Amino acid sequence: MTAQIQAATRTISVPRTRPAPRWARAREFFSTHVFLLPIVVVFVVIYVIPMSQSLYYSFTNYNGYSADVKNVGLHNYQQIFADSAMLSSLGYTIFYAIATTICVTVFAIPLALTLNTKFFSRNFVRSIFFFPAIPSIAVLGLVWTFILNPLGSGVLNTVLHALTGLGPVPWLSNGTLAQLSTVVVTIWALTGWHAILYLAYLQSIPTEYYEVATIDGASSGQRFWYITLPLLVPAVTVSQLLLMTNGLKVYDLPYTLTRGGPGFSTRTLTQSIIEAGIAQSRVGQASALAVLFLIVVGIVILVQLTIARSVERRLS
Amino acid sequence: MRHQRSVITSVVMIPLGIIVGLPFYYIIVNTFKTQQETANDPFGWPSHLNLDNYVTVFQTLPIVQSFFNTVYVTVLSITLMLAVGSMAAFGRIVGKGKIAPVIGVALTIAFVVPGQATLIPLYRMLVRVQLVDSLNGLVVMYSAGSIFCYFLILGYMRTVPGEIIEAARIDGAGPFRIFWTIVLPLIRPILITVGVFQTMWVWNDFILPNVLISSQDKQTLVLQVYTAVGQFTTNWPAFMTLTVIVLIPMVIFFVAMQRHIVNGLVQGSVKG
Repeated sequence: MTAQIQAATRTISVPRTRPAPRWARAREFFSTHVFLLPIVVVFVVIYVIPMSQSLYYSFTNYNGYSADVKNVGLHNYQQIFADSAMLSSLGYTIFYAIATTICVTVFAIPLALTLNTKFFSRNFVRSIFFFPAIPSIAVLGLVWTFILNPLGSGVLNTVLHALTGLGPVPWLSNGTLAQLSTVVVTIWALTGWHAILYLAYLQSIPTEYYEVATIDGASSGQRFWYITLPLLVPAVTVSQLLLMTNGLKVYDLPYTLTRGGPGFSTRTLTQSIIEAGIAQSRVGQASALAVLFLIVVGIVILVQLTIARSVERRLS
Repeated sequence: MRHQRSVITSVVMIPLGIIVGLPFYYIIVNTFKTQQETANDPFGWPSHLNLDNYVTVFQTLPIVQSFFNTVYVTVLSITLMLAVGSMAAFGRIVGKGKIAPVIGVALTIAFVVPGQATLIPLYRMLVRVQLVDSLNGLVVMYSAGSIFCYFLILGYMRTVPGEIIEAARIDGAGPFRIFWTIVLPLIRPILITVGVFQTMWVWNDFILPNVLISSQDKQTLVLQVYTAVGQFTTNWPAFMTLTVIVLIPMVIFFVAMQRHIVNGLVQGSVKG
C-alpha cells in the first residue's frame, strides 16, 4: 500500500524534476523565500545594523552629537579598566551571575526531587514556590525594598528586632549586605521556577527504570546516582545556561532594589551601558563595554555547552 | 515507612512554603490596613475590610491608562513575533535553496546576542525615526523576540509530516494557502505555548519601558509601579495596593494558561 502511494507520488512528481521555465522557477523562489523576508528585516534592523554600529563606535570618540568622529583605536577598551564604576559593575555582574547560578541550582534540585515524591500539601508547596515567577521581577524588587528598609516600613528589621533585639540591619545600604541581598532575593524569586523545570524532566523518567533497579537490589542512593542524575543532565544544562546568561544580562532586580548602590557595589553591566550610552552620551565607551559584554556572554555560553556535552558523553 | 517519610516531608515543606509565600501574604494583607495598623502589626489581620488604599491608588494614578498601554504593546508585539516567527519557520522548512540554511545560521548567532549589546544604537535609531517615548517604538524593540519564536516553532514544525504539505502542493495549493489553512492550524499548540511565554516577558519587562518611555500617559504597568515609589515612600500600604492591582492581570493570565506553561517547559526539555 505505502509502496503504491510512493510509486504514485513518484510518477506525479516526475514533471517537477524537468527544468521548469525560468519564470516558474523565479516564482517558486519568490514564493518560498518571501516567508523568510520579515525575519530577515528584523534580523538586519534589530541585530546587524546596531551590532555593527556598536562595534564601529567602540573604536571612536563619538559622543552622540558631534560630527567630528575620530578613530581612537582601543582607547575605549582601555578606559573600561580605568573607570571604577564600569570595573566594579563588571565584577558585581560576574559575582551575581555565578552566585545565583550555583545557589539556585543547589536549592532547585533537592526541591524538585522532594516535589517528585508524594506528600500531603504537595500542590500547595509547588504553587507557592513557583508563584514568584509570575509577576514582574522589577515589581518584586520594589516590594523587597520596602521589606528590607531599615526604617519603620522595613518589616524584616521589625521582626528581627522583636525576636532578637538586634538593631536595624542595613540590608541595602551596606555594600556587601546589598550584594548578598540581591542574590538572596533572586534565589527566592527563581528557585521555584527552576525546580519546576527539573520536575518536568524527572517526571519524564520512566518509572520502569526504578522498578528494574529495585528488583536488581539497587539502594535508593544508587538509584539516584545511576538513574536520576544522568537523566537530569540535560535539565541541568538548560537551567544553568538560562541562569548564567540571565545573570550576566541582569538589570531589573539589582536596579529596583538598590539603583546600583550603595556606591557602585550592586551596579550591573547593563546599567553601566545604559547610563554611559544614553544619559551621559559617552557612546564610544558604552559601545566598547557592550562589545566586551557580548564577547563575555558568547564565551560563557560556549564554555557551558562544551562542559555539558562532555559530561553528557561521559554519563551516557 | 513510606507514610512516615511523607509526613516528615510535609512537616519540613509546609513551613518552608509559608516562609517563601510570606512576602505575598504581607503585601496583600496590608492593602486592607491603614498606615497606623501596618506599622503596629505588620502581619496581623486587618481590623475591618478597608478599601481606602484601593480608592487612593485609582484616584492618584492613571492605572487604567497604563493597563491599556500594556495590553496594546503586548498584543501587538506577540502577534507580530508569532507571525514573523512562524512564517520564517515555514520558509525554512519548504525553502530548498542555499539561502534558507544560511539565514538559519545567522539567526542562531543572533539568538545569542544579548539585547544590551544593541541597545544604544537601537535607542539612537528610534530617536531618529521619532519612536522614542512611543508605544510603537516598544513594539519595534520587542519584535526581536520573533527569533526565539522562530526556533521553538521550527522545532515543532519539524514534527509535522512533510507529506501533508507535499499532498497539498500536489493538489494545487499555493504556499500561502498551505501556510494559512494547513500549517498554522497544525502548529497551534506551539503558537499558544510560545505566545504565553513571550506575553509574560513583554508584560513584565522593565528595562525597555524604563529606557524608552518618559511621559506618564505612555507608561506600562511595571514602569508605573516603579515611578510611583517616590510618590508613596511614606504611604506604603498604598504602594502595596498598587503592586497587588498590577499583579492581578498576570495572575489571572497565568492561572488560565498554566497548562501551556508546564507543557512549554517539557517541550523545551525535549528540544534541549
